[in-house]
Amino acid sequence: MFEQPLPRWLAWAEDPEQARRTSFLARSPLFAGLPRRLLARLATRFFEKVYHPGDGVFEEGDPGRALFVVVEGEVEITRATPQGPYVLNTLGPGDAFGELALIDDFPRSATARVAASTHLLILYKSDFDALMEGNARIAVVVMRNLSRRLAIYARRNTMLATEQSRGSEAAGPL
Amino acid sequence: MKPARILTWAAVAALLWLVRGMVLPVFLAAALAYLLSPAVVWADTLAIRRTVTVGALFAVIIAVMVVAGFLLGPGMLSEGAALMDRLPGLARQIDLGLDAAVRELAESAPAVRSLLPEGGGWVQGFVSDWGAAKPADLFEQVGHFFLLTILVPFFAFFLLRDMHRLIAAVMNRLPPQHVETSVAVWRELNGVIGRYIRGVVLDGLVVAALAALGLWAAGVPYPLLLGAFAGLANVVPFVGPLLSTVAAGLVVVLTPGQGLAGVLRVALLFLVIKVLDDTVIQPLTIGRSVHLHPALLLGSVVVGSHALGVLGMIIAVPVATVLQETVRLLLEHRRVLARHDRLVV
Repeated sequence: MFEQPLPRWLAWAEDPEQARRTSFLARSPLFAGLPRRLLARLATRFFEKVYHPGDGVFEEGDPGRALFVVVEGEVEITRATPQGPYVLNTLGPGDAFGELALIDDFPRSATARVAASTHLLILYKSDFDALMEGNARIAVVVMRNLSRRLAIYARRNTMLATEQSRGSEAAGPL
Repeated sequence: MKPARILTWAAVAALLWLVRGMVLPVFLAAALAYLLSPAVVWADTLAIRRTVTVGALFAVIIAVMVVAGFLLGPGMLSEGAALMDRLPGLARQIDLGLDAAVRELAESAPAVRSLLPEGGGWVQGFVSDWGAAKPADLFEQVGHFFLLTILVPFFAFFLLRDMHRLIAAVMNRLPPQHVETSVAVWRELNGVIGRYIRGVVLDGLVVAALAALGLWAAGVPYPLLLGAFAGLANVVPFVGPLLSTVAAGLVVVLTPGQGLAGVLRVALLFLVIKVLDDTVIQPLTIGRSVHLHPALLLGSVVVGSHALGVLGMIIAVPVATVLQETVRLLLEHRRVLARHDRLVV
């Protein structure tokens, strides 16, 4: 029923911020396959926050309670090693991190720190759970996309383990 | 603590004291905003501006209230007027019954005679005091009521329209390392409060409708008034349902031709409604949003009543639930941190 945006004669009533957020989430691989109606519903649950260079989003060992999506800027994912912080990945616009918080409440396995002035969209687990209760399709699509990401991480880790020559750690879900 | 911080807290406390009269309107406006927020969130999914959504929502509510006023208003007003006319006579009848009971008790147990109250006409005295309230007091009360009816929708309108902007502003000022945990706690509590308020209102409406229908079917006078009272009183756990049963029972006792059978019918009706409420209506409306132990539930109502009277009894359950949820989330936070320490060690 509401697959399409508002009709042209109602354009004056459109909230550009909400429309922009829905369109942005549509391009994120984590939400690929969700119809616009459900994407719009998901978009209402996100919060937006501006981070400054050097700000920590979360630390290794913190309880995971939210998923983050980079709208603008750059986020570094690092893990503490005896030699100092090791950069696992650098994320840019459209990338999501902290996704395991949507599945369980295990502590964060890495640290996320902002490298440049950054806008993040934040989805809290309680909001995601509430949304899933009434929308089984959101649960199925997001969990399928999450499983794909986990499978990619698992294969990459297996390959690295068999090579064992580089001695570096693999980037994985947080 | 630094002097600047002490001064800031003192200023905040002084400000709160100065605006204490606004606590009730703001509380009611927040409750109204929680009640209407699902409709606003639904409109957000269509990317409609909040001002348009909230304006349209209030227009619909006003239209519904006008229609409901036309449909139910005349009946409730005539019931109210009839009750007011009969009130002095009813008070006299209740006093006669009470006097007889006290006399009987004094004769059968002379030892407790000194403990029993002297005189009589308590209810008549209360009714005449109430009726003889000074016009200035009456004017003040009516003024407060009208102020509430204007302020509550006014505040609710702006809460619904601008809350997301306020939240964004607060989040951008929070220390980044605390945003995830602190806002997560608030989101959980917000969900619990929202579900509770919407559930309680829906529950009250269903109970009011059932009570009004049942009383009308049983031939009890003033079914609309008594039903509305049952719905409102239902907000207060334990005491509310009891009060509405007593009120309906008193009306039956003082209605010629109803007799003891009428009282039993009313008691049975309210018992059935209470059982239905506990087993079917509340699980469907309030659901799992409140998990208070019955002892904690009763204790919170008693403490709320002592602290803030009727308002305290109404807000006791959500406040106790919020406290319980906060403790649970803090304990969970500690458990997760302990799990990390074990993994690291």
